[in-house]
Amino acid sequence: MKSISELTDFYYKTLYPVLQELEESRKSIKKRVINISIIYTLVVFSVAFAIFGYFDFEAFIYIVIFYIAGLAWIYKYLIRDYTSDFKEKIIAPLIKEIDNNLNYLPELHIPVSNFNRSKLFTSRPDRVSGNDYVRGKIDNIDITFSDLHAEKRHKDSKNNDSWETIFQGLFIVSDFHKKFHGQTVVLPDSAQSLFGNLIGNWLQANNFSRNELIKMDNIDFEKEFVVYGTNQIESRYILTHTLMQKLLNYKKKTKHPIYVSFIGGKIYMAIEYNDDMFEPSVFRSLLNYKIAMAYIATLHLAIGIVEELKLNQKLWSKV
Amino acid sequence: MSTPLIIIIVLAIILILMYNSLVAKKNQVDNIFASVDTQLKKRYDLIPNLVASVSKYMEHEKSILENITKLRSEANKPNISQKDKIDLDAKVSSALGSIMIAVENYPDLKANENVIHLQRSLNEVEAQIAAARRAYNQAVTDYNNALEMIPTNFMANAMGYKPKDVFVIPESERKNINVSELFNK
Repeated sequence: MKSISELTDFYYKTLYPVLQELEESRKSIKKRVINISIIYTLVVFSVAFAIFGYFDFEAFIYIVIFYIAGLAWIYKYLIRDYTSDFKEKIIAPLIKEIDNNLNYLPELHIPVSNFNRSKLFTSRPDRVSGNDYVRGKIDNIDITFSDLHAEKRHKDSKNNDSWETIFQGLFIVSDFHKKFHGQTVVLPDSAQSLFGNLIGNWLQANNFSRNELIKMDNIDFEKEFVVYGTNQIESRYILTHTLMQKLLNYKKKTKHPIYVSFIGGKIYMAIEYNDDMFEPSVFRSLLNYKIAMAYIATLHLAIGIVEELKLNQKLWSKV
Repeated sequence: MSTPLIIIIVLAIILILMYNSLVAKKNQVDNIFASVDTQLKKRYDLIPNLVASVSKYMEHEKSILENITKLRSEANKPNISQKDKIDLDAKVSSALGSIMIAVENYPDLKANENVIHLQRSLNEVEAQIAAARRAYNQAVTDYNNALEMIPTNFMANAMGYKPKDVFVIPESERKNINVSELFNK
């Protein structure tokens, strides 16, 4: 796989003409966004001022909410073409450059069945959105990933819906190279770091929404993660010392909470970002090194799991 | 209800819980040992086949082959204790390791399909054994902790539970193999 610096070169050299073109349209869209926002703000303010005497304070709160929602809609509407251009002309070639066997579908996301099958989150989502779906083969290993936002619906006393986020971030599914029958789930260790070893351990052992607690014999790994599984031996067969170390390294690289599960011959991985990735902002230059690096690093991270976790290593048990 | 009665009931519940947790820990150890044993047997079953395929070529390593055959017959004896099985496992692992290293010296053997297949099966079984060993060690650690920690240690003493041995995990299994480092040597 190409290294990050090679990809950065590709971004600034091969994509440079396209970048400049997009940069021009970004500047004009930015101008338009600012102009229309100013006009919109003036209109809303003058309307609000005109009806000032007739309404009470509560109405003004609605006006403010309406104003903000309108602003967000206007922004989204104006940059729609720019976003799709950016994805088609920048992100798609970048993915092709990383590996030609990968397909990029900017509008789609990972099917919700994959999310449910992963058992990473105990609550089932009522609404799933996402985009930037990538799928294909790397070294003959199936890999798919996308941005995903899974939410659960809650009803309050007035029967109004409110939405709680279960997960937002990057969701990756790939083949796993070992044969196994049970389920193994690796989660960020919140109990142990919050309540200390003794109480944290007790809480983890008595988590009824999960399978058996599996204590791992790697101290660093135990600090960062907690493992639940259906079979004490099989979970350790999957999580060898080498794989534990690799997951630790991977976690250090991402700097975000990661959730991993091994179910039905697949590895599921969720990296929490609380942010939509690969979405350009018109207020930041595409030529900005930091922004470019963020796009490249995220792609590299997602596609790199095959190499990083050595999923492409041919194993004796799986032919 | 009178206060002394409540205290007695609470005490009885605590004792029952302690007793049950100790029994559960002991059974967990036995349970996982049974899985270790199955995997060890699988490996012992591969040994005669391996010895038969390599003995034609390996003239100089006869003693290793004899040694491993001997170890296997020892392991197949009925009624050997968990501790003996653990000791035998360590010896068999090192003997198998030296055979595998010796195979590298014989190009004919290295290319032999039967040997390659055996090597793969052995690797797979070794990976399973390694996992089972680690599971066993964790179960034993939990059990031994309960034996030594307050308040379960009094109960365990009364029940006559004895600490158990863990498998010694070979250093080679603990280390992360770094291929580039191997090449740089």
